[in-house]
Amino acid sequence: MAGDEAPVLDAGVLAALSASVGGDRGFVLQLIDTYLADGEAQVQAIDAALRADDTAGLVRPAHTLKSSSATLGAMRIADTARGLEMAGRSDEPAAPDATAEVLVTRLRDDWTEAITALREWATAEEAR
Amino acid sequence: MTSPGSALVVDDSRVNRLVLVRQLSELGLEVLEAENGVAALELLRTSPGAIDLVLLDVLMPELDGYETLASLKADEALRHIPVIMVSGVEELDSVVRCIELGATDYLTKPINPRILEARIGASLAAKRLRDLELLHIETQRELTETIERQKVALSRYLSPQISALIASGDDEQLLAGHRRQITVAFCDLRGFTSFAEQADPEELLGVLGEYHRMMGESITEHGGTLEHFAGDGVMIFFNDPVPQEDHVERAVRMAIAMRDRFQPLARSWAKRGYELGFGVGIAVGYATLGRIGFEGRYDYGAIGNVVILASRLSSQAASDQILLSQRALAMVEGLVQSESVGELQIKGLSRPVPAINVLAAR
Repeated sequence: MAGDEAPVLDAGVLAALSASVGGDRGFVLQLIDTYLADGEAQVQAIDAALRADDTAGLVRPAHTLKSSSATLGAMRIADTARGLEMAGRSDEPAAPDATAEVLVTRLRDDWTEAITALREWATAEEAR
Repeated sequence: MTSPGSALVVDDSRVNRLVLVRQLSELGLEVLEAENGVAALELLRTSPGAIDLVLLDVLMPELDGYETLASLKADEALRHIPVIMVSGVEELDSVVRCIELGATDYLTKPINPRILEARIGASLAAKRLRDLELLHIETQRELTETIERQKVALSRYLSPQISALIASGDDEQLLAGHRRQITVAFCDLRGFTSFAEQADPEELLGVLGEYHRMMGESITEHGGTLEHFAGDGVMIFFNDPVPQEDHVERAVRMAIAMRDRFQPLARSWAKRGYELGFGVGIAVGYATLGRIGFEGRYDYGAIGNVVILASRLSSQAASDQILLSQRALAMVEGLVQSESVGELQIKGLSRPVPAINVLAAR
């Protein structure tokens, strides 16, 4: 399964994003900051919803996290968030390892990895 | 430089909004944001006309893209605003549904700025065209209103038949001149000249106003064409421009109605010291009808012996008399009670003319 996993960070997406705003590095870095702040809140909201046994309540933060993550190339967490969104929308999990409980554990790890990868990318950009 | 327009970005992700706002600002657009469909609709409804374009995320929590789009398209005031759907590549099926629901176009994430520019340009052009169309419709409506208002204003100065004729557009033939059998009625007041000499101008116009109002009602009720007012004298004809088979009868019935309505007026004037009487002359015959006058001041008028005869009969009529020519009587015989008043010597005619006074309708 590990081979099917999406990359933590697709640098190509970030490069394309940067190009789409005229190569404005400052803007992209600011975007990453926004993502990290909002993403933290969304991960916590998903956690809280699940602990409160409110499966439907995780749909909204999962959806937004998926969407923002894909925009910045944080593909692995985007996939996990998509899985959570789908799990929240239906009663039946898509696969035995795709229950909300399983996915939310993975989400924590994915989030930590995404933060690290984005910070590294940002540091490298700032150093250029 | 003026902005090419304003766009509303609707997306639940702040990151995505920031990207789109940035890209649209680069294109010179003013950009507003909403984080979900409910907020977007609220913004659109509270700022009518301020938003030229909506970029709508397909899938959003709260009100999703479909529902937002459907509400937008169901709203008379908003449905003309172009909506570009923004979606992930995996959501293309949803995009098809949105286009069916009335979305103008779509963009897939990540958004290519050149494709964004092209799609925005096309949508804004369509919007401008639509706005021009709306403006045109509005101008057209105002023009129609002005014409209607002028028609109403004009109809106060013209006989309704004449103003209808002019408004109809097929007036040229009739206005150019034609010959037709008509009935002419002349009415005027006995004792008016001496009254006009004595009365105050306000009193004079007041009395004339009451008299004309009464006349006007009777003319309209019987479908007469008012040719002109001249002080107390009024000329009305029938059977033109609108053909009326019973034109003589209409003229006679109108005259009787006027005489009946004149009685209470005469009594109220008498109390104020004015002795005024009412007389009518009616004749039937061929006349030439059409536009008379000169550029800037035309009348629709009738010319012929019938006009002269009616006028002379009117001036010979005593108070409360309705004098008919022989021919006019022949056409309403059996419909009225009448009495002969003998033959009248009419100025301009070589032979005396028999005249008949209408006593009442039968």
